Amino acid sequence: MIHCDPVLCVGCRMCEVACSTFHFGAVSPALSRIRVAKLEAIGIEVAIACMGCAEKPCLECPTEALTVGARGEILLERDLCNACETCVEVCPVGAVGFFDEEPLFCDLCGGATSCIEVCPTYALSSRDAGISLAAYLEVEGLPRQKRAHYAESLAAPIRESWRRGVRVDA
Amino acid sequence: MSICRGRSLRIDLTTQEIDRGLTPDNGIGGRTWNSVTLLEQLKPGIDPLGPENLLCIAVGPLTGSELIATCRFIASAKSPLTGYLGDSGARGFFAPELRWAGHDQIVFTGASDRWVYLFIDNDRIEIRDASHLVGLDITETTVQLQTELHDPDIQVAAIGPAGEHLVRYAIISCNLTRAAGRTGMGAVMGSKKLKAIVVRGDRPVKPLDPQRFKAACALLQSNIEGHRQFESRRMYGTTRIMDSLAEMGVLPAYHYRSAVYADLAKVSAEALRRDHVVKSKACYNCNVYCSRYNYTSYSEGEGPEYEAQAGFTVKCGNSDLELGVHVSNMVNRLGIDCISTAEVIAWLMECRHEHVISDSDVDGIDLSWGSRDALLRIPQMIAQRQGIGDLLAEGTRRAAEKFGTSARKLTAEVKGLELFSADPRGIKGYALMNAVNSRGGDHYRGEPMIELTGDEDLAMRRVGNPNAAHRLAEDGKGALVNYAEHMGLLSDSMTICKNISCCMDVVDFDLAGEAYSGLLGRDITAHDLWKVCSRVSQVERDYNLREGLRPEEDTLPSRFIDTPIPDGPSKGTTVDIGRMVKDYYGEKGWEAGAR
Repeated sequence: MIHCDPVLCVGCRMCEVACSTFHFGAVSPALSRIRVAKLEAIGIEVAIACMGCAEKPCLECPTEALTVGARGEILLERDLCNACETCVEVCPVGAVGFFDEEPLFCDLCGGATSCIEVCPTYALSSRDAGISLAAYLEVEGLPRQKRAHYAESLAAPIRESWRRGVRVDA
Repeated sequence: MSICRGRSLRIDLTTQEIDRGLTPDNGIGGRTWNSVTLLEQLKPGIDPLGPENLLCIAVGPLTGSELIATCRFIASAKSPLTGYLGDSGARGFFAPELRWAGHDQIVFTGASDRWVYLFIDNDRIEIRDASHLVGLDITETTVQLQTELHDPDIQVAAIGPAGEHLVRYAIISCNLTRAAGRTGMGAVMGSKKLKAIVVRGDRPVKPLDPQRFKAACALLQSNIEGHRQFESRRMYGTTRIMDSLAEMGVLPAYHYRSAVYADLAKVSAEALRRDHVVKSKACYNCNVYCSRYNYTSYSEGEGPEYEAQAGFTVKCGNSDLELGVHVSNMVNRLGIDCISTAEVIAWLMECRHEHVISDSDVDGIDLSWGSRDALLRIPQMIAQRQGIGDLLAEGTRRAAEKFGTSARKLTAEVKGLELFSADPRGIKGYALMNAVNSRGGDHYRGEPMIELTGDEDLAMRRVGNPNAAHRLAEDGKGALVNYAEHMGLLSDSMTICKNISCCMDVVDFDLAGEAYSGLLGRDITAHDLWKVCSRVSQVERDYNLREGLRPEEDTLPSRFIDTPIPDGPSKGTTVDIGRMVKDYYGEKGWEAGAR
């Protein structure tokens, strides 16, 4: 699955552009399966896509339209989906998109991982599925607020290093 | 010929009416639409801070597309600083969001009688109360709106206290620090009691000829990645030019009294990166990511770019870089243009040095070179119009009228707009650009950077004169500035970052033609685009002539014409500006500048 290092992410959103272009031939963040949470007032940003987490609350899908693929990615059976958005709402880090009555999960571009290819700072990399997001299961709010919360949860050690004098060349 | 036309929102802030229409039919996006709108719809002679002025915010067909760094919106209105056509672009992420919301231009008319903000969520458009935002700086306004709207991703373009107080060089900023900085567009927004514009959008931008568009995008990307400045721009952004300007001998140290700054190493790009830059930052879809986040013991924020870095250090004779960076953070939050603000402070310091004014003329502020007191207090006083700040908020031209002839002779402005942090005497193309362009004293209308390269082949290819490749040559600069103006206007219409398109010279009219053709799905040639830029450039000139512009104003302050650079590598240089202006008029086909 796609992992983003918040120390390296510069918030350019090239990953969103690459993702929506790869899947739809058009650009809009709403079409992207990876989204960049930007906390501009504290200088922190991080890209978030489905991490294939250990908890997988999205599998609560009431119509059983979701299954797990070979790499740990979530697969959608379109005919079964009734666009109830349960999966969108329960994702602890707001990583499930939704556009035109359809949830959007990172599908690793079928292996092409276009976001990793385009990322100019190498902040994005592949990581095995199965990381625990238990710490985020109780977070409330809209997906975009959960993404911001996730970014904020990564901020403290980075900002502490800035305070201690760690500079970009270090 | 019609190339592209966009959807235009018309917001009457007096009556609160919202109309949907179309942009002018004869542009290519961004500045071309705005300038035509203003020429056609503004009455001559209006008060720029009155309800008759229009504030136009435009993006273009390429904004928010896959083409790298199509990230800018252009704000245009009659300028309260110059009285002529004002416009300025801001990078970041607001512009693509506006495009995704399905709006290509917003035209604000009239003025509200209470503070409001405009809310846009695709087709849902509302004028909302902003009384709770009054007095907040740009960061506070942005965070407050994102919090109360439960949307940390929503894009906000706002004014700060300076815009509220009609400071004539107030800015409009998005993403906290990405400013439409020049010519006082924030003051026009403030005069309409419009505190912010908030936008959320999800409409896809889809090229109609995907293969052709993809090829143009790929060409631009490879032009950028193969560019000799690619790595240094990633490392230092625009601050990289501090050292090169020093090597050329065109630093404006102590307000143009010296081209040599002894403490350069303390305030250089390297020092900034070593001591204060904690990470790189990017604008929308940009692989150069040349912006940087700073952390100081006073404050933190994005920036500074070269202008703020040099303006608050070298120009003011301040060798304390950390203080300069903090002042940059502060003016961003207050919402004043860093170029004009640095020029105001440096000019006052020189006036005091020359005994033209004393500290008691400026509320007892210590105006010695590099004064911490001045750098910390003056921006606040300007933004709040407190004490002497009320006069300084009018800009150096108007303030100098108050301080007398000797003070006026020390100003560095053209048509009321303050000059950048470089010495035009040693970079003749930039000197001419400052003298003749529609905004006033401004280097960024388009960048005549070819004169800094020494690349005669490039100069031949672009403007047909190898001399244009040399910064101290005056020959060939009319053609160079005309070309650079066209490139600037093209960039302001593509809404692409000018640091990329103009300064790196990685976009030309052919590439732009391919991008427009791919996006719109029909043939648009380089020649088509050049013709539109020529015509709109004339529209801008016509607007200014209608407002009373006299050709005599196409000049530089006399200090750059009469007095040579006193020291350093360009020692002894002055500018024969009259000769170059004539050359430029010839390129434009103007009789003695009448048109």
